[in-house]
Amino acid sequence: MIVAFAVAPVVLVTLLIGLRGVAAMRTTSDFLVASRRVSPLLNSAAVSGEYLSAASFLGVAGLVVKDGVGSLWFPVGFTAGYIAMLALVAAPMRRSGALTVPDFAEARLASPSLRKLAAIVVLVIGALYLVPQFRTAGLVLSVVSGTPYWVGVAISGAAVSATLALGGMRAATYVQAFQFVFKLLLFIIPAIWLLVQAGPGVRDEAVHPVEFTHFAEETTVQFRVGATLEVPQGVRVVEPDGGTRTVQEGRWNIPAGETVVFPEGGRVPQVLGESAPGAPGWERPLLDLHDEGHPLLGTWAVLIATMLGTMGLPHVIMRFHTSPDGRAARRTAAITVALLSVFYLFPGIYGVLGRVLVPQLYLSGATDSAVVALPAQVDDGSAGTLFTGLLTAGAFAAFLATSLGLLLVVSGAISHDLVPGGLRQLRVAVVAAAVIVVLLALPAARFDAGTLVTWGFTVAASTFCPLLVLGIWWSRLTAPGAIAGVAVGLLGSSGAFLLSVINPPVHGWIAILLVQPAPWSVPLAFATMIVVSLFGRPPPWSTAAMLRLHLHEHRKSPFADRVAMGRDLGHSSWSARRSSAVRRITRRLVR
Amino acid sequence: MSTGRRVAVTSPQTRLAHARRRYRGPWRPTILDPAEAPRAFALYRRQLRLAAATLVMLFALIFGLPLLLSALPALDEVRLLGIPVSWLAPVAVPFPAMVALAFWHLRKVESAESDSDRESGEADGPGNAGQGNAG
Repeated sequence: MIVAFAVAPVVLVTLLIGLRGVAAMRTTSDFLVASRRVSPLLNSAAVSGEYLSAASFLGVAGLVVKDGVGSLWFPVGFTAGYIAMLALVAAPMRRSGALTVPDFAEARLASPSLRKLAAIVVLVIGALYLVPQFRTAGLVLSVVSGTPYWVGVAISGAAVSATLALGGMRAATYVQAFQFVFKLLLFIIPAIWLLVQAGPGVRDEAVHPVEFTHFAEETTVQFRVGATLEVPQGVRVVEPDGGTRTVQEGRWNIPAGETVVFPEGGRVPQVLGESAPGAPGWERPLLDLHDEGHPLLGTWAVLIATMLGTMGLPHVIMRFHTSPDGRAARRTAAITVALLSVFYLFPGIYGVLGRVLVPQLYLSGATDSAVVALPAQVDDGSAGTLFTGLLTAGAFAAFLATSLGLLLVVSGAISHDLVPGGLRQLRVAVVAAAVIVVLLALPAARFDAGTLVTWGFTVAASTFCPLLVLGIWWSRLTAPGAIAGVAVGLLGSSGAFLLSVINPPVHGWIAILLVQPAPWSVPLAFATMIVVSLFGRPPPWSTAAMLRLHLHEHRKSPFADRVAMGRDLGHSSWSARRSSAVRRITRRLVR
Repeated sequence: MSTGRRVAVTSPQTRLAHARRRYRGPWRPTILDPAEAPRAFALYRRQLRLAAATLVMLFALIFGLPLLLSALPALDEVRLLGIPVSWLAPVAVPFPAMVALAFWHLRKVESAESDSDRESGEADGPGNAGQGNAG
């Protein structure tokens, strides 16, 4: 019922807006960057709409429930990334005239192999980011309405690929801008309603955290994914016939699909290797990753990964290419900071209320669904159902908007950079990529969405961030240097994550740097690029290519009056425009 | 009429141009007008300095605040409207500060660009300035 009521309008409006974008679509540029005619305000709403994924709409509040108040640093890093983007990347990137990040890499460094490598990195980041979106869409739908997991995955895959294949970037822009406003309203209004409706008792409990040790009422926990719990003395469960039974102390393996009912006042079992919501340390505003005892290092590592990762996310950079000029791209970034700042004032409210009202979600590892589970706890009448529906609709809009941008950038990487082709091939690539991602997402229900998305951010931070920053601001970067740096960053960050998946017996700060490798992988990628470039020789035109990125488009040409007088024909045979003259002059300016 | 091979007839200048190394394929080196190079370099320097200033402030803000919170655990006990100050800090401090920083940077960079327009207009001489804007 709720599915039809909440999700159907979102999907329908997405498709309708997508259909509006079909008109006037002829070239690759129309498809990938909406003919570069998007105004800063619309574009920044679209950037924010695309960026506020499931990780922001549901994930941050869920992390607050699970790990504590320190998780509020994630949104700070997400937003700070746009200031770095504004200062370093936005305008020069747009002025390069590229359509995609691999395009930019080739335009600046003239290396087809770098372009191929960059396209592969785009595919890696796209997959790491898309699979969790589809997975969370499936999970949220199944939590709210009881449909099987694959239904949600299939619905989102179909809606996204249809919209995109028909309308391309223009459709994606309108859909994302609309969904930003939609998400903002559907996040803020329920938050205020929850605060008011929860009453003074819950509000007071929310700001005085206590450890979750006993069930306050009879609680049903559904384990969609299997879990291993550590059982202390005195844990009881309610049998189907109504009597209670004491669970044996020690490890308790619960298979997937099991439903357990805990009686009122019973002890709460512990999740292996995690501390309960409200445990000592939960209230500290720092992120103690894996409880290794280095909260400051953990917080800084997350901030570095999210901030620099945002700067390198290919689907965000692609949105800046839709601006008419560099100045508009920069304004887009600045307005985006403001829009995101408004949204990110609210996840904390859901988080601290969730710790009081739905702490049992941490047992089944489903804290992601805390936001949509809250209204039913506060009001079990029709108002609660209404707000559950609204929040589900908002969450679904979050998956759709983010997946639109990611799918576009993935199909752009395949069909524009790896195997260049025309518009028809791009449309086919969109549908094919969507099918592959849906197939990847179907068996991914048990993966942690947060881990995959953080992995995607870290890969972006240690590959594209150094490539863009050095490509735009350092004239001596060479193609071999860039290739070496991107490769080292990709291998370093992915290697650390793969290593951390098999749980090596390390502790302390080494464990943190393994779980969150950005503090060393980003500097390593920068250093590799610089050192390898210094061993090589930049091509003669490299300084001119770099300086050209910093000239704004609507400047007054120094030749304008001479053109009027007919002296400069604007071609290279005129002696002052020969490439040798450009080299001589730029050499005098830079070093 | 002879039926021999057909030969393309070109001027010496064209032959010379064709003999030079040319970039084939879709890629071409970026063109920077030499007359604009000094201005591009001045803009680059100025924007680099502005970007560095903004980033230093940003890093000081978002890395300094966790440091402050970890150095002053007493802030957990101080409450504002019932909410611990250390919970408010990661929300109420960075977001307004970042919005202010973003718009400050935007204003500075845009005024740097329009300054550069004005300076090059003056360098051209007062007589040509109006004509130049039209072109």
